[in-house]
Amino acid sequence: MTAGIYTGRAKLKTLLLEEKAIGGEIVVADIVENYPGFPKGISGSDLTSAIEEQARSFGVEICEIGATRIELNGENRIVHTTDDRMITTKTIIIAAGTQNIKLNVPGEKLFTGRGVSYCAQCDGAFFKDKEIIVVGGGDTAIGDAIFLTRFARKVSVVHRRDKLRAEKILQERAFSIPSIEFIWDSVITGIEGKKTVEAVSLKNLKTDTVVTKRIDGVFIFIGNNPNTGFVKDIVTLDESGYIITDENMGTNQPGIFAAGDIRSKMVRQVATAVGDGAMAGSSVQRYIEKLETVKK
Amino acid sequence: MGLLQEKDKEYLKNEFSKLKNDVKLVLFTQEEDCTYCNDEKMLIDELGSLSDKIKVEHYDYATQNDKKEQYKIDKYPALIIEGVRDYGIRYYGIPAGYEFASVIEDIMDVSEGSSHLTEESKKKLQAINKPIRIQVFVTPSCPYCPKAVRTAHKIAIENDFVTADMVEATEFPEVSNKYGVQSVPKTVINDGVEFVGALPEDQFIDGVISALEPNR
Ligand SMILES: Cc1cc2nc3c(=O)[nH]c(=O)nc-3n(C[C@H](O)[C@H](O)[C@H](O)COP(=O)(O)OP(=O)(O)OC[C@H]3O[C@@H](n4cnc5c(N)ncnc54)[C@H](O)[C@@H]3O)c2cc1C
Repeated sequence: MTAGIYTGRAKLKTLLLEEKAIGGEIVVADIVENYPGFPKGISGSDLTSAIEEQARSFGVEICEIGATRIELNGENRIVHTTDDRMITTKTIIIAAGTQNIKLNVPGEKLFTGRGVSYCAQCDGAFFKDKEIIVVGGGDTAIGDAIFLTRFARKVSVVHRRDKLRAEKILQERAFSIPSIEFIWDSVITGIEGKKTVEAVSLKNLKTDTVVTKRIDGVFIFIGNNPNTGFVKDIVTLDESGYIITDENMGTNQPGIFAAGDIRSKMVRQVATAVGDGAMAGSSVQRYIEKLETVKK
Repeated sequence: MGLLQEKDKEYLKNEFSKLKNDVKLVLFTQEEDCTYCNDEKMLIDELGSLSDKIKVEHYDYATQNDKKEQYKIDKYPALIIEGVRDYGIRYYGIPAGYEFASVIEDIMDVSEGSSHLTEESKKKLQAINKPIRIQVFVTPSCPYCPKAVRTAHKIAIENDFVTADMVEATEFPEVSNKYGVQSVPKTVINDGVEFVGALPEDQFIDGVISALEPNR
């Protein structure tokens, strides 16, 4: 959307494809405290609806369909969509972000929607006065563990190491909440139950012992994989599947740019994604200008 | 004090200026034993005040059995969005949070009398030859839920055998428990087919079609 603000303002006809929810993954963040301009923090959904309004006001058109493939044809780039359309364009910015990684343990798939969840904002309300596990040790895991204490009686954070990766400020907050417990050096090896989740098997990696813990729900936030499946044959990816770009967001294909979490980089945050978007939008503008002068 | 902000009202007025046919918002509420009935009444009345193409009708769930039967309503608060005919669009529980946008988009589609499904989807749906009830369980804070609700409602617009309910899961704990809803969106079709998540249109429709199989 940020890239769209730049291309829209440059009077370039801009179409944004979104297959899930306008705004991207930050819409499920209860509060964003590190995005500049909001000293008291802002909810992910408020932030993205403001950005959406801004993008639309510069003429960005948003279409709620997915992209399935990109085809190159001379200087045209053709985007194939989930509703079987083909959209022909001169430039594309790939900003498809990431999606959460599954645990890949027995029971996870079976109980997805029956106690296993990947969205605290969506499903927290079903665990009122229940006992739940949050798996992970990063910002999302700890932030959502704190959020989930609004509903759950007890939240146990299961982490495979003996310290967290999350920001210090989140760690301190989590450590100070009595209803959050930490289970260190441990992983879940199985999820069991009848109709819904009733227990998990926890393996301590230091001692190799496995215990069964009674539990009502499991929220999984162990990291992300890039959504690059639909472009992997078109642009160069790094060994983890992220798109490699130059410092102006250009990929190895002329006219195709990438921005945000999908890019090979160190820090994946809203502020950096927005920075990438501004850069990519400007690069597109320059690319189109160049195409036009070459023609003349 | 209204529930909608001035700037939202302006935006909606502008959207509603594109309405084609009249749209009727039929609301069932009950005085007692209903946390959100009053809020929903206020919200729907405000929507009605934004366009003369939108008509609002209120019924009392407790007493007006004839209307309840006409619309085949089994819970309250219930909202029906009706166009030139009743397409089978139902909202059980308040469409607050992210679901408010679903109501607006439904109003636009119903007014136009068009589902905006792909040609392929429309063709597949012609196979439906018996009543289908789609229930989509949601929470107001779920950003992925409107997609499932809208797909279900579009299917209802497209096919007269189909009734599609949005069910606000936290307002109807017994129903949610019956179907073991612990993640949203969760879709249940004729008590036989179930899936979790906002599936793409083609997969959603395949789910509906699979509910037609005789062993279901
Ligand atoms: C719970 C949570 C809390 C967070 N908190 C913070 C925070 O406090 N501060 C902070 O700075 N960052 C935070 N983040 C990280 C932040 O959300 C991301 O860095 C940011 O959203 C990246 O933006 P993006 O546009 O690159 O990708 P995304 O936000 O992932 O957006 C990509 C979009 O592309 C869509 N898409 C994918 N594939 C396709 C396709 N083929 N066709 C069409 N559309 C497609 C996806 O549906 C998605 O909406 C948080 C993340 C989570 C999950």
